[in-house]
Amino acid sequence: MEGCPRNREIGPKLLDLIPQGRKWYQEDKNNVDQEKKLELRLGPPGGDEEDHHHSAMKKKNNTETRNIKVESEDKSFHGFNGNHFSSSNKTSQKRTAPGPVVGWPPVRSFRKNLASTSSSKFGNESSHGGQINNKSDDGEKQVELKKEGMFVKINMDGVPIGRKVDLSAYKSYEQLSFAVDKLFRGLLAAQRDTSGGEGEEKPIIGLLDGKGEFTLTYEDNEGDKMLVGDVPWQMFVSSVKRLRVIKSSEISSALTFGCSKHEKMRH
Amino acid sequence: MTRDRSEMSEDDDDQQSQSQSPPLDLRSAAIAEPCSSSSSSFSVVDSTPNKSRNCISSGTLTSQPFPDHVLENVLENVLQFLDSRCDRNAASLVCKSWWRVEASTRSEVFIGNCYALSPSRLTQRFKRVSSLVLKGKPRFADFNLMPPDWGANFAPWVSTMAKAYPWLEKVDLKRMFVTDDDLALLAESFPGFKELILVCCEGFGTSGIAIVANKCRKLKVLDLIESEVTDDEVDWISCFPEDVTCLESLAFDCVEAPINFKALEGLVARSPCLKKLRLNRFVSLVELHRLLLGAPQLTSLGTGSFSHDEEPQSEQEPDYAAAFRACKSVVCLSGFRELMPEYLPAIYPVCANLTSLNFSYANISPDMFKPIIHNCHKLQVFWALDSICDEGLQAVAETCKELRELRIFPFDPREDSEGPVSEVGLQAISEGCRKLESILYFCQRMTNAAVIAMSENCPELTVFRLCIMGRHRPDHVTGKPMDEGFGAIVKNCKKLTRLAVSGLLTDQAFRYMGEYGKLVRTLSVAFAGDSDMALRHVLEGCPRLQKLEIRDSPFGDAALRSGMHRYYNMRFVWMSACSLTRGCCKDIARAMPNLVVEVIGSDDDDDNRDYVETLYMYRSLDGPRKDAPKFVAIL
Repeated sequence: MEGCPRNREIGPKLLDLIPQGRKWYQEDKNNVDQEKKLELRLGPPGGDEEDHHHSAMKKKNNTETRNIKVESEDKSFHGFNGNHFSSSNKTSQKRTAPGPVVGWPPVRSFRKNLASTSSSKFGNESSHGGQINNKSDDGEKQVELKKEGMFVKINMDGVPIGRKVDLSAYKSYEQLSFAVDKLFRGLLAAQRDTSGGEGEEKPIIGLLDGKGEFTLTYEDNEGDKMLVGDVPWQMFVSSVKRLRVIKSSEISSALTFGCSKHEKMRH
Repeated sequence: MTRDRSEMSEDDDDQQSQSQSPPLDLRSAAIAEPCSSSSSSFSVVDSTPNKSRNCISSGTLTSQPFPDHVLENVLENVLQFLDSRCDRNAASLVCKSWWRVEASTRSEVFIGNCYALSPSRLTQRFKRVSSLVLKGKPRFADFNLMPPDWGANFAPWVSTMAKAYPWLEKVDLKRMFVTDDDLALLAESFPGFKELILVCCEGFGTSGIAIVANKCRKLKVLDLIESEVTDDEVDWISCFPEDVTCLESLAFDCVEAPINFKALEGLVARSPCLKKLRLNRFVSLVELHRLLLGAPQLTSLGTGSFSHDEEPQSEQEPDYAAAFRACKSVVCLSGFRELMPEYLPAIYPVCANLTSLNFSYANISPDMFKPIIHNCHKLQVFWALDSICDEGLQAVAETCKELRELRIFPFDPREDSEGPVSEVGLQAISEGCRKLESILYFCQRMTNAAVIAMSENCPELTVFRLCIMGRHRPDHVTGKPMDEGFGAIVKNCKKLTRLAVSGLLTDQAFRYMGEYGKLVRTLSVAFAGDSDMALRHVLEGCPRLQKLEIRDSPFGDAALRSGMHRYYNMRFVWMSACSLTRGCCKDIARAMPNLVVEVIGSDDDDDNRDYVETLYMYRSLDGPRKDAPKFVAIL
């Protein structure tokens, strides 16, 4: 408990009930001097919390406290890491485990970015939960949702909207082909239908054998564009970087010259 | 109310369920047993599942001859005018025929807990729903107190509604897990779809948004608020149809992905009805300037980054103030995501009209802030960072006499950071802003005196949320617990419906809450109390309590048991890192079959381990959910 040795009679009761895993304990005020003398600590000289605590204490004109403060200043010269989380000062007085508790203070993670992202704008590092800071214990574990699967982008000729597929969800080319059909059938029909009526949704088949209207191709980790289906599935999954569904009539030109993603994205 | 609260809906409480009506959230969406004989408004789900099934079947039997067709027709015509869901809930309880007619005329449904009932129950009871408000995860999930993939999936709802309500126009989700496929299904299934509002949601990306933009041709509102949107590198802005749109509100300030500005400009140009536009931080000041020149009719503006990344040549620098001057209708201003403070004066022309101002992403010093706020006499809603300091708050207090809602967030949210705001700011606000209704205040130090002062000066308070960031921190002047301050709040603020407490609190504080918190519906407790008595005071008092969220407080089984008489009348109870045992939770689950008792583990499951890390329990008409992940044990 911070700053309230006066309430000692309340303290222990509360702390006894703190569940395991939270290593708090409060030192008796009388023992603090002794403990402080023995303790080697890292911490900035007189850190924030100390000042804060002592400004409260000062009003009580407590000389004992001032002794404590002097001692802590003496000690804090070893190994001081200027950026060290100043809770270490607090801990010597209050509890052993420094450090933030998950979800406290109750501020949503996008509001926690403020202290470090004030200058980065168009960079990637300032995405949610992406920045590194000491307080990441308290849960920048906003799991980026699509991290666990193996998501690759997939675009289709004639459809401005790209999608993503999770290749770890499939075990064969057939399954992938089926998924592609599911993903794009509706979108393709919508694109083709310009007269305002209900577009007929045709299944997208023959992606793998060259017999359908469309063919599935991919770009591998070396930048080469290839037809899907030639290599064993696992080998494909390990080398694929993105997928593209192209018109079968354009197979030869697509594979030779490739299509830049940017050309296709801007409409 | 004139102020635009919908603009900044972080976790606003449901406005409809205010003081006078009993909490009938569950009944609004699910089956209210019309055969329930109890006249007490608390007897929501006091019947067994069997009984409720009977009620449903008798309610939907249409082959039964009606004694009075005329009455039904009259009722239908009359009940159509009832908008408030509390009124409708009450009407539906009068008798079976009122229940039937009400169900057939209710067009807006509110579901406060998506697991309180199944989607099919919704569609079986209400046949003509055009608008759905649905809430999922409990609020503490926002602070990483719950593992991801817990649930609250939108998928079963959208697929059920796709068949039942093809005329659906509006969906408003909060803390739900929504996938791109869900959005695709929504876009395909509802041709007349008009409003999509996603607050604190996740699970989807710009692909899903693109599909909605592309297919929902009647779309008026697309509001993405504080949601996590993955960047699929899709140019979703370009996916809006090429002709004139119906857009009235477009909010994408939470989308962390670059925007095709040219397409955005074109979209704004062909959206004559657009009134609300909230840009993300990938829109620079120069781009904002262009947009403003093309959209002077805007009433609500989220300004994007309010900066630029290159050094502009000074001769080419646009006249930003002139652009703002042209926006005579702007009353709500937000954004400033990467504020360059030297440009802030550009907003002077609109300050005098502002009713709502959100600076909560802008690290503004008091010196920069004061000249701005001194113009904002009409301000009713104000959100900011504590970087404005007590001094800034004093300036607010001097000028903003109409202030209704204040939120002060910490720039540096750690327990021991410098605290630029304190009891001084709170006291000043209480003295200057007498009409204050809602406050959220993060600080490092506080005194009982200031809190008491606020309780006396601001009788209109309905929401009081004080977060003293250091755990168990007492009044820093007297060293006493914060009991008296919070006690005064519950005693003096007679309209209080929502309370969040912090600082050092003993059981006494809870005694006050239980005794005086007559209208409190939502209570948030963290690191507080000494013993079970504290929780018992609350559970045995606070007659209107609906939502109870507690963390890291020494409350155990006896306290939990003491509330069994009322858990059916609450939306949920959350208790994490308290002192509960699995055995007790099991007992409660057994004793209350319509209560779903979830024990959420964070560690590897050791079944013998009796300690309950997180308890989340809520009433449900359709039993335990089928989509619970491994780490959730439903007792």
